[in-house]
Amino acid sequence: MTLTLAIHSSKGGTGKTSIAVNLAVAFASAGKDTCLIDMDLRGPSLCSMFKPKTHFWINDFLSGKCNLKDTLTDSKKDIGTSGHLYLSFSNPDIGEIRDLVSKDRNWQAGALKALMNGKRELAEENIDVTILDTSPGVEYESINAVAASDMVIIVHNDTKACHDCTEQLIKGVYTLLDKRCAIIDNMYHGNCLDIKEKNRYGVPVLTTIPCMCDIATRSKNEILVHSDPEHLFSKSIMTIKDKIEAMQ
Amino acid sequence: MDSELLEQVVNNLKEINSKLDRLIVQIECRDETTSDKDKIAAYSLDVLTLLSLPDHLRTTATTLFEIGPATADEVANVTNKERAVESNYLNQLVRMNNVKKYREGRKVYFRINDSLKKK
Repeated sequence: MTLTLAIHSSKGGTGKTSIAVNLAVAFASAGKDTCLIDMDLRGPSLCSMFKPKTHFWINDFLSGKCNLKDTLTDSKKDIGTSGHLYLSFSNPDIGEIRDLVSKDRNWQAGALKALMNGKRELAEENIDVTILDTSPGVEYESINAVAASDMVIIVHNDTKACHDCTEQLIKGVYTLLDKRCAIIDNMYHGNCLDIKEKNRYGVPVLTTIPCMCDIATRSKNEILVHSDPEHLFSKSIMTIKDKIEAMQ
Repeated sequence: MDSELLEQVVNNLKEINSKLDRLIVQIECRDETTSDKDKIAAYSLDVLTLLSLPDHLRTTATTLFEIGPATADEVANVTNKERAVESNYLNQLVRMNNVKKYREGRKVYFRINDSLKKK
């Protein structure tokens, strides 16, 4: 049974991609066959960190031009994980992004159906964990990813706007789609030792990651959970991984 | 006498069934040959429409998304509701053009509608 996680947030810049990439590497390093899919079709990021080795993008799969496995690049050897780490890239070409923005609801309906089929495809390939990195807020692509997931990991920042919007998303999207959720407090500016909160809006808070400049600077060239397992950020990622596994 | 009558009823029912099957095939062929020009209105179930459905219909539609084409029985097994209740919900979704109904042999299947239809 493949566990499918959607990494989502109500606002942009909360650190979804950093958490998605590190979490994927954490699962793969623990021997789990993992698949990380860049569903942020409007602002692709995965291709800035890794090099695709196939001709097909996730965009092609969502348009019905290929199978999901045709879009996958196995980075197990490049990164040195014990489990397979399959990456599916979103096309960074600006023409493709412009084209995507003009897609109608029928294309989006087809994309959701494709994602559900892709989920079955990955289950047949015995993938243990699939991580869908999404675009923020209520965009078709991100809500499609949420609908296709088994669990939503909400990456949260301590701002009023983020609080208000997250509560709305939980009540107006995740709950309606009957999804299990969990919150990660990221880039927290207060004293993490003072935190007692275990639940917010009826959703468990998995961990609180303090705001640290070196996470942003070092993440440009390395995957911290792999290169520096003793770093506080890496330890937080491992905590998230363990808690997600314990919730299954 | 009774058994003859019964046999006749069964034969008639078989004939009706095979006629229905032929009609369904004809209708499907007609849909497939519809030219692109005529395909002017599209009915398909996207995720935001799914969110706006009432709770009971959303659960049914989400289940159909998860398990793929299925009978009312198969949907009811997942949702833990009565088959007749799911059949009613699925038919409501068919009337709303979100779900398509088709026959395979004697079984009636439902699937998420992603096809283009004539207005």
